[in-house]
Amino acid sequence: MKRLLAHPWLTIRVQIALGAIFVIAALPKIADPPSFAHMIYNYRLVPSPLINISALMMPWVELLAGLALILGAWKAAARTVIAILLAVFIVAISINLFRDNAIDCGCFNVADRGKTHEQRIVDMKVDVLRDLGMMLLVAQLWWAAAEEKRRFAEPPGSRSVA
Amino acid sequence: MNSKIALQTAGLIVAGVVLALCANAFASHDRKLALVGSYPNALKVPPHEAAPPPAPQMTIIPQVPTTSQAPAPSAATAATVTQTTATAANETMGLNPAARNPAAITTTTSAPHAPSPPPPITNEDPLKRFPAHPDKPYLEIAFADVKWLHEKNVLFLDARRTSVYEQGHIAGARTYSVWESDVDDKVQKLYAERGDPREQANPIVIYCSGGDCEDSHMLAQKLWGIQFNNLYVYKDGFPDWQQHGAQVHTGVKP
Repeated sequence: MKRLLAHPWLTIRVQIALGAIFVIAALPKIADPPSFAHMIYNYRLVPSPLINISALMMPWVELLAGLALILGAWKAAARTVIAILLAVFIVAISINLFRDNAIDCGCFNVADRGKTHEQRIVDMKVDVLRDLGMMLLVAQLWWAAAEEKRRFAEPPGSRSVA
Repeated sequence: MNSKIALQTAGLIVAGVVLALCANAFASHDRKLALVGSYPNALKVPPHEAAPPPAPQMTIIPQVPTTSQAPAPSAATAATVTQTTATAANETMGLNPAARNPAAITTTTSAPHAPSPPPPITNEDPLKRFPAHPDKPYLEIAFADVKWLHEKNVLFLDARRTSVYEQGHIAGARTYSVWESDVDDKVQKLYAERGDPREQANPIVIYCSGGDCEDSHMLAQKLWGIQFNNLYVYKDGFPDWQQHGAQVHTGVKP
């Protein structure tokens, strides 16, 4: 099971899928920063002076991290950034669920979709579950990297021949 | 985490920041953001407003705001509800934030779903019916009053995004999106246009998309911060205007 989880076949697909998700998520935010700033404002967690700069910066960091994963460059840094972003999203949405502040998460779409309070709350729960799922994908990448590192750290004679 | 990964992580973030700043510098005016925004209620969670109850259950205080010198807006057709709204101006937003101390905001609305015939069009001066209220950033008004003010050619400001404005807006309204980088320039321009304090006391109606949209309230606070003291927020916003079949324009021009 451990070997299956760290298998390169799985790892490469997880890497590309996660990278593609982040690239796709970044594009609408890059295309319309004012709408994304509005989304960040709705979270009521970011101090006023940091809202615009976060709205400008975050999508580009998402895009670069996603591209790095897809291209297989700076993989460790990319998965670190993605793990941090996912943790921030999960915490932010959870806090607003706890406060009953119904918001559009702004994850893949920055347009106001005109949903009701109840619809938004349901969506937020789904968003947290989805982000937790993506966190599992990041964990798989970490696990595979650690396994690879461990294998290469072993003395040459002790390596099993595939 | 070893230092190589830390360095690469920092590199990704720095590259992201540089690209973001470059993209913003070359963005069109409706896509551009001011690097530092001013959003007074950024950390204040709005109370959840349940769906409007049927008209008889609404708590209505049948009294005229104490600050009014003249009859309350559309007193014949609207009940006056005094309450602090979800977006109450606890902090002043705008070019001169220290200038004003906000007070409770008076909401003047028609009872939900109650038939409210528009007030008769007369030659009455809008200022008599809608006097200045320097102690409050804005008053919320409903369709009947908005329509009356529209007939009187009062200035209308659309606080929604420019792209949305172009798809349809109240005839004659100007676009003043609070989320776009040029809003402060537009506010300054309006201030220059209405430099005389008497002109600043003329009514201005501000609207956005109704519902939980706060953009009109934010713009009202911005204008109130620079001495405009007769601002009205059309609480139900553009969707309500459309529902009533009132005059709508599309495109970039008012």
